[in-house]
Amino acid sequence: MEEVIVAEGLTKVFGSLKAVDEVSFTVRRGEIFGFLGPNGAGKTTTINLLTTLMKPTSGRGLVAGYDIQREPQKVREKIGVLFQDITLDRELTGWENLWVHGLIHGIPRRLLRERIRELLAFVELEEWASHQVKRFSGGMQRRLQIAAALLHRPEVLFLDEPTLGLDPQSRNRIWDYILELRREGVTIFLTTHYMDEAERLCHRTAIIDHGRIIALGTPEELEKSLGSEMVYVKLASNSLQDAARMAEGLKNVEGCRVQMVKPGEISVSTIKASEAIPRIFEKAEGLAVKIREVTYHKPTLEDVFLHLTGRKLRDEEVSGMEAIRIRHRWWR
Amino acid sequence: MVSPASAAYVMWYRQVKRFVRARSRLVGSIFQPIFWMVFLGLGFTSALRGAPVFGGIDYLTFFAPGVVMMAVFFTAFFSGTSIIWDREFGFLKEILVAPASRTATILGRILGDVTIAMLQGVIILALALLMVPSLNLTGFPLVLAAAFFTALQFAALGTILASKLKSFEGFQLVNMLLAMPIFFLSGAFYPVDALPGPAALAAYLNPLVYGVELSRRALTGMGFLPLPTSLTILTASSIRHFLVAVWSFEKTTAE
Repeated sequence: MEEVIVAEGLTKVFGSLKAVDEVSFTVRRGEIFGFLGPNGAGKTTTINLLTTLMKPTSGRGLVAGYDIQREPQKVREKIGVLFQDITLDRELTGWENLWVHGLIHGIPRRLLRERIRELLAFVELEEWASHQVKRFSGGMQRRLQIAAALLHRPEVLFLDEPTLGLDPQSRNRIWDYILELRREGVTIFLTTHYMDEAERLCHRTAIIDHGRIIALGTPEELEKSLGSEMVYVKLASNSLQDAARMAEGLKNVEGCRVQMVKPGEISVSTIKASEAIPRIFEKAEGLAVKIREVTYHKPTLEDVFLHLTGRKLRDEEVSGMEAIRIRHRWWR
Repeated sequence: MVSPASAAYVMWYRQVKRFVRARSRLVGSIFQPIFWMVFLGLGFTSALRGAPVFGGIDYLTFFAPGVVMMAVFFTAFFSGTSIIWDREFGFLKEILVAPASRTATILGRILGDVTIAMLQGVIILALALLMVPSLNLTGFPLVLAAAFFTALQFAALGTILASKLKSFEGFQLVNMLLAMPIFFLSGAFYPVDALPGPAALAAYLNPLVYGVELSRRALTGMGFLPLPTSLTILTASSIRHFLVAVWSFEKTTAE
């Protein structure tokens, strides 16, 4: 399959910080490739390098067959970019923004008028065409930016945190647009720090942390690399004794590993939950322990990230202790 | 291949559209020169009545052509601010990842700023005519030429500064520090040829002097340099600065 993006040992150093550290990957035609990682992991810098906004310190990158350092002009002809921050002219109207964008991308005027009409319809902003962008909501600005990125029919689309900070409704809408593009076979490189976004949209995902790729694969592969599913068993009684008895009993059940015991509750990790659950029931019956509820969940990318880095993905999810420490720093 | 003409046109279009939208900018930039003319010009005119320094014309007649260029100068010089804003608000990235040639986009942009600066110069000239009806309007084409090259000159210098100084505060500070001496030493307030040695040298190095000189020559017939000399110096230095501006914008990255 044809490779549309190739990164080989891509590195960007700012002072003493290696923002992107020897990153290598390829993206195939028609693929949606995700970069998943916390803020400051090097996602945006990677996009800046691949879109010719910055020059790499070392390493090589090819986009649509052109070298990002030697033929930046050719690369720019092939790409569309949705930046993380709003890059619209707030004083201009929606239509005028697209007009400016189209002409600096070399679209002939008559065709451009047509495309603007089409894309304003696609992102459902026709009625806002003649309003200044500063009157738009965050979600609307994002949608207009998507329209701009698509205007010149790029071969490769770069989306930097396409749904960052948006309300759930706008988020769903933008996902729908991206899924529509996925059906049309547009090659997309996207970054996100939302697990569900990567799981839902991407064919393959690289997990990036401190500028390095620490895992790469399809969402299923990444989840499988964790090797287990979690089964949560709730007992009818709320006693620790029952739970302990049950945990003891499960020790010699094939394929089950007890992870946690609480009053009335046990969690078990297993390779295949669908096979483990009947055995758990059998055991409970043998021990005369009543089960009220069994739930299980497949490991998510969130679990993978936690497993690989020992940290949660989203930095707003700081622990109570951490929050106190941060507040303390503020006071000093 | 992106047509350079389209790219330049659309950047021009954007600068002008933005200016038309921001009416307060227009009003503000017109009032300032008027204040200079009324409060300073009228005051000196009566104080200096009959003084021989201005070649037989009164102070306001001497001053008005300079104020026209001053309006052009300030607008053009501060137009670099928009590059800083664009960097801050992200629009610059949009231009930097576009395949249009940077030369074309910066040319369009600077021409847009030149258009705005010239428009203000013309408005100030019309208002000056109300106060000094004796200004010679047959020199109007020459005033336009002087305004064009002065605007080009300082829009280019503003662009160069904005490419080097990336923060808004830094740009404001340096611009103000430079604008004041350029402005006071422009020959708008007093004849610079009468200055003592080092100050005269500084004046001759000041690109605004030649714009003011041409404007005054066109509107009053007065001047201290032959017309071809000042015209040549002005065009040559403005084109040179324009080329430096293109070169520094070519190298701009998002960093």
